[in-house]
Amino acid sequence: MRLFAVGLSHRTAPVELRETVDFARKGLGHALAELSGRGAGRELVVLATCNRAEIYAVGDTDETAEHVGRFFSEYHEIPHDRVREHLYIYRGPDAARHLFRVAAGLDSLVVGEPQILGQVKAAYGVASDGQFTAALTNRLFHSAFTVGKRVRSETGLGEGAVSVSYAAIALAKKIFGDLKGRAVLILGAGEMAKLTGIHLQSQHVKQITIASRTLATAQGLAARLDGVAAPWERIDQALSSADIVVTATGASEPVLTRTRVDEVMRHRRNRPLFVIDIAVPRDVDPAVGQVDQVFLYNIDDLRTIVQENLARRGAELARAEAIVDEEVAKYSAWMQSREIVPTVVALRQRFEAIRRAELERLEPKLAGLPPEARARVDEVTRLIVEKLLLTPTEQLKAVSDEAMIVAYADALNRLFSLAQDKDRGQAATEEESEVSS
Amino acid sequence: MHLLPLLLYAAAAAAYIAHFAWRDPRVGRLATGLVAGGVLAHTFLIGMQTVQAGHAPLVGTSAAISAFVWLLGLAYLYIELTSDERSMGVFVSVLLVGLDIIPALDPAITPRPPVLQSPLFTVHVMSLLFAYASFALACVLGVTYALLFKEIKAKQLGFFYTRLPPLATLDLMNSRAITVGWTFLTIGVVVGVVWAWQVKGSPSPDPRVQAMSLADPKILVALVSWGIYSFALFARKTAGWSGRRAAYLSGIAFAVVLLNFVLVGYFLTASHNF
Repeated sequence: MRLFAVGLSHRTAPVELRETVDFARKGLGHALAELSGRGAGRELVVLATCNRAEIYAVGDTDETAEHVGRFFSEYHEIPHDRVREHLYIYRGPDAARHLFRVAAGLDSLVVGEPQILGQVKAAYGVASDGQFTAALTNRLFHSAFTVGKRVRSETGLGEGAVSVSYAAIALAKKIFGDLKGRAVLILGAGEMAKLTGIHLQSQHVKQITIASRTLATAQGLAARLDGVAAPWERIDQALSSADIVVTATGASEPVLTRTRVDEVMRHRRNRPLFVIDIAVPRDVDPAVGQVDQVFLYNIDDLRTIVQENLARRGAELARAEAIVDEEVAKYSAWMQSREIVPTVVALRQRFEAIRRAELERLEPKLAGLPPEARARVDEVTRLIVEKLLLTPTEQLKAVSDEAMIVAYADALNRLFSLAQDKDRGQAATEEESEVSS
Repeated sequence: MHLLPLLLYAAAAAAYIAHFAWRDPRVGRLATGLVAGGVLAHTFLIGMQTVQAGHAPLVGTSAAISAFVWLLGLAYLYIELTSDERSMGVFVSVLLVGLDIIPALDPAITPRPPVLQSPLFTVHVMSLLFAYASFALACVLGVTYALLFKEIKAKQLGFFYTRLPPLATLDLMNSRAITVGWTFLTIGVVVGVVWAWQVKGSPSPDPRVQAMSLADPKILVALVSWGIYSFALFARKTAGWSGRRAAYLSGIAFAVVLLNFVLVGYFLTASHNF
């Protein structure tokens, strides 16, 4: 059994063709059913985004790839010549590598964009719900999700750029180091205030104080953020003890003026103060930024940083590719180890067949026993077979070297004359997942 | 042999610069290895000189600078290995190279005059050199603080923003370096006064001992730097002179120390020209 990836993307096909080849138009389920009906592959996943159309298939021979390739034109009722030269076909580990790169955003138009992982998950979900997937594709796609997550957490590829809130937190960390012991004051209790508050809360800050013109709304947000609400008249006190101030009120006049902040800084004995003004119109007088030890960033400043981060993403490519390599190696090793599975299944079936045969042979003697005792006999014999097979099964599954797998399979076939059972192996695929889990 | 430490420091400086620019961890480890090699070679050199002269080579400005460079290298290595923070290396190693040129060009060991044969003299010199090494680190921390502060304040997050540790960390390390330095500076000055008071009463006093008074530039400037560092400590505790002001202050104060150590030591003092 082999894995194939056939598709076209923004790298190989012009936009007009990508618009024509759209498996999502009638729903991915429809395309999957259609493709499956032609017997093109045993396991199938169809991925369709605005920049790519791809089919992942498991088949026995290279013809699977041919079939799937033709499906691109036949399904959309266009001449195959229009599609053929834009199609790429990957086989085995290369197919896995391709999917992993796609899931990590490495193959995207905007490198590192996070949406693609969700789209891959959705495509797998549809295929899985329609029972078009099995052991090979299940493992493949779960590995792809791992790659996506690892690239996001271990490299800077998906970093910084996604949100203004993240840029603000990165800045706060560059000023204060760890945010754990820091106090936060949020002015305003609207949606923006809430979002930023949630981000700050995830940094385990010491305390979050919320002040709003109406105490009740402040209390509402305080409850949501595990913080405390302060009345509007007492924000000067809160300012004196805060390290990070987020302003997000709907006020039309500046809430924090230069004189007010000058006064506050005297009480703070000059400890650094990070002011994040995410309100439009601005809540903080720009002159506040000139006060020594005050760092003032407004929403536009943060947006600029986000833009710069986007440009810097390119540098993280090599590290992301290394993660892809690592996971491809793991998946390939698993693919190899898996080829022992039919032998294991055949072995188990053989033992079970012997057990049943013996029970049938003893049926006349057992017939006199009460039903509980008969059930007990059945149970005990089954347990003996299970116990006998436990260690061999584990040992076989641990073999990863291809030559060894062949040697073991050969030996087992001879020792237990499994060969005649081999043709039953196909029917046993349902049991595979049980064995390999 | 006396050039080997300088060569290794120079190689380390080059590696630190490369590491700072491109952030390749392998180059960083190489830089640490080179500066450690430099300190090791320097230890051998000072050890050999001690055996040759029969006493620690602390007499004369160039020997004192050599010992200072050695202490600074040691202190920096200690900080790098305990904090796992390599970004200061680029500044410290450049300072090491700049100062080690002096003893490398003037390696002769001054014989120790009889008047300096006192354990108090060794304590005096070693405490002051250690104090100066701490102040050098404080200065480097201050400079980096100022660079990072400027970038964040001006909203131009770039080169230093991605390379330096947080402002709070730099400020904390600066405050520790100044506290340690101030303690040893105080010890060094007090021991020096006690020692001078002892030898002044002895028969056939050296003319240089007679010159030891507040009017001597070396002693005066040393007291001025003690005053500046005392103020830095006091102002941080009481008036909130942390962050940017503390950073500038540690830079200015170290400039005074360096002025005293090198320029005054070579050309102006009448009491400390051993």
